[in-house]
Amino acid sequence: MRRAGLAMCAAVLGLAVLIAAKPPDDLPAPVTAPGSLPSRIDLIREQHLPDVPLTTQDGRAVRFYSDLVKGRIVAINFMFTSCRAACPLSTANIRDVQEALRVRLKQPVAFLSISLNPEIDTSAVLHAYAEAHGAGPGWTFLTGQRADIELLRRSLGAYDLDPELDKIPTQHTGLLIIGNEPTGRWKAIAALSHPTRLRQAIERVVLPVTEWQTGAVAVNAVPYADNAQASIRGQ
Amino acid sequence: MPHWRTKMLSRRDALTIGLAASGSALLGLKSLHSKGLAPSPLTTPFVEPLPIAAIARPVTAFATQADPTTVNVDGSTAFHVHGPRNVPAGAEYYWVEEREALHSFHPQLPPNPVWGYDGTVPGPTFIARSGTASLVRFVNSLPLANPLNIGAPVTAVHRHSGFQAPEDDGYPLDTFATGQSRDFLYPNVPEEGLQQNEPSTLWYHDHAIDTTAENVYRGLSGFFLNFDARDSLAGEEDTSPLALKLPGRMRTSASGLPIREYDIPIVIQDRKFDQAGFLSYDSFDHNGFLGDKFLANGKIQPFLKVDRRKYRFRFLNGSNARVYELFLGNNKPFDFAIGTDALLLPNPVANLPSFRIASAERVEVVIDFSKYAAGTEIILENRLEQVDGRKPGNLVQPGTPIVKFIVGSNTPPDPSRVPESLRPVFLGPAQLVPLVKVRRKFELVRSEGAWQINNLFFDENRIDARPKLGDPEIWTLSSGGGWVHPMHIHLSEFFILSRNGKPPPVLERGRKDVFRVGAGEGSIDILVRFTGYTGRYVFHCHNIEHEDMRMMAQFEVGP
Repeated sequence: MRRAGLAMCAAVLGLAVLIAAKPPDDLPAPVTAPGSLPSRIDLIREQHLPDVPLTTQDGRAVRFYSDLVKGRIVAINFMFTSCRAACPLSTANIRDVQEALRVRLKQPVAFLSISLNPEIDTSAVLHAYAEAHGAGPGWTFLTGQRADIELLRRSLGAYDLDPELDKIPTQHTGLLIIGNEPTGRWKAIAALSHPTRLRQAIERVVLPVTEWQTGAVAVNAVPYADNAQASIRGQ
Repeated sequence: MPHWRTKMLSRRDALTIGLAASGSALLGLKSLHSKGLAPSPLTTPFVEPLPIAAIARPVTAFATQADPTTVNVDGSTAFHVHGPRNVPAGAEYYWVEEREALHSFHPQLPPNPVWGYDGTVPGPTFIARSGTASLVRFVNSLPLANPLNIGAPVTAVHRHSGFQAPEDDGYPLDTFATGQSRDFLYPNVPEEGLQQNEPSTLWYHDHAIDTTAENVYRGLSGFFLNFDARDSLAGEEDTSPLALKLPGRMRTSASGLPIREYDIPIVIQDRKFDQAGFLSYDSFDHNGFLGDKFLANGKIQPFLKVDRRKYRFRFLNGSNARVYELFLGNNKPFDFAIGTDALLLPNPVANLPSFRIASAERVEVVIDFSKYAAGTEIILENRLEQVDGRKPGNLVQPGTPIVKFIVGSNTPPDPSRVPESLRPVFLGPAQLVPLVKVRRKFELVRSEGAWQINNLFFDENRIDARPKLGDPEIWTLSSGGGWVHPMHIHLSEFFILSRNGKPPPVLERGRKDVFRVGAGEGSIDILVRFTGYTGRYVFHCHNIEHEDMRMMAQFEVGP
């Protein structure tokens, strides 16, 4: 790497020659020979899946990457139990999706709901919340140190570029982040989309493209709705 | 993406072109990149010529296929089902394969496994003549194995700005995966048969649900040009009194292939590369992915040797999320702007100092190099700073070079001209606004980390507007947040009636199909009118990461 860097600098310094319109033939060789592609799965792990310590609603100590994500298909959202806005709806949505996926997919999908208010949302509080919302097996609620959760939130892309908006926890409760860790396919969708659309998006992360459900069946899986009047306004 | 990244980049580019020079500054900056994707490796600008995509060649007519060839594994068919096509007599047939190929973005980077139409980046340029339909079979031969981990080999082809039936529009759910294919019929007739509606610069790109951003980033886009009796294929050599004689003519290459001279489509895109020189992408960046390498027609910072005469350039911003403001580095204006998005302007705009261009927008210009001495070098540069997918920032100098024009000593005869009238409009706001009965409002909102249109997330089975065939409507597009969204409406081209209550700026007085809305751009009123086809079409943000987050809605044109 270092040698390649030096070669690049040499190219920069030798610029006067390079400006000539004819492509020079003394350019440095490619940095890496073709075919030596670094693992993109490793890169995702390094960049986006920090192995922070967390605690489940059952009080079990876990690591985010090694215990919850590695080798799995995951659907992750951020929530907090006192959130009255999107969270209850997202939670209900996820419950519906979890049920539908259980019927349709061979592979299990691990649902991870991570509290943005970890001081209040202790394991016991999350346990009660999970029970109250009918969360089944395969759905883990997580708490932990605020700093770790903040790192996780940012790493997974659940942030707002506006620092003021970023401080508001409800700004981060609307995403469902879907990942297929072994294949490296990751996607995010609004957690308040119709649960069927969430299911389809998850299936498209899980399944090979030849098995993607698109077309008429996918479109018509949600009842037809006409909302055309809503956009009309008075003259 | 942190704020310093783009700034640093332009400094780097300055370094490499010798405007500033310090090797130690270069090494010092490296340590800043411990988080996020590291900056791309250095590349020397202007070492390779600007490539010009090959012109797509018609093939022998073949029997069009009914939809069973695009049946999905679960037995479902495409949403828009069609049988064997009723292809008009005289149509040209094309066969284009979506496949992986090794592409060199720059000689200092290793060849990259891109996904291209016919394996090229950009794809072949279609040249259509008005009145001659094109029937294109797109065959998906993309590999299922994807070690680069960018994109998914499931595709839908949208001919952007195309006046075409819903089943030929590349509806995001009408996908075809590896091993499947789909036929697209492009009639190449202007809306209502009106000459004012003859398009000029269209493009085609992937539009598959959930994976458009990555598939386009991986290489799936190309130009589709349309010519008619005025803006003709013979161009400057056309002797017809109708002909505009804009720069451009057809020739045959030494190897017998058609080439177009003096009329050059240029797609500008930003990309990022890992330290080994392979294309990289961040699936966790939902704001809009920005690259730090600037491509023109698939090459990083190429040069173009030009003759001392007029050229027509068709600029397309094919980037996922970046907005550019393009200048000539010698601070000379572009001699003329002649078109925006798909259409020529009614009249050319002379001496344009710069132009802003967001994702999917097009601007056509004419540059006259005859006023420059042989050996003059003019750099096309972007001076608009942008550090994240939210919106661009300020104009900065020095800009980032994109293409270097090198004026040669050749001064060939130049019969081309830029007439004062290009595409006069006879049916426009003056005639149609008085007939408007329906006004609609679409407000773009960021809600809890995702985007909504009129407070709703996209649903493929919900109709958000129901315009009647031929009825003019006024749509207001506005955005409350600090984001710029280039909104694209399928099927037709529209007049901007006002921007922030004022007459639109000079380059927005033609018709468009991509509209910048929000943040510094504000809101717009547009005159919308759909003709020719009934059915379901989408409209969406063309920041493609936003689009993949389903920042989309749909209208159904009814009788």
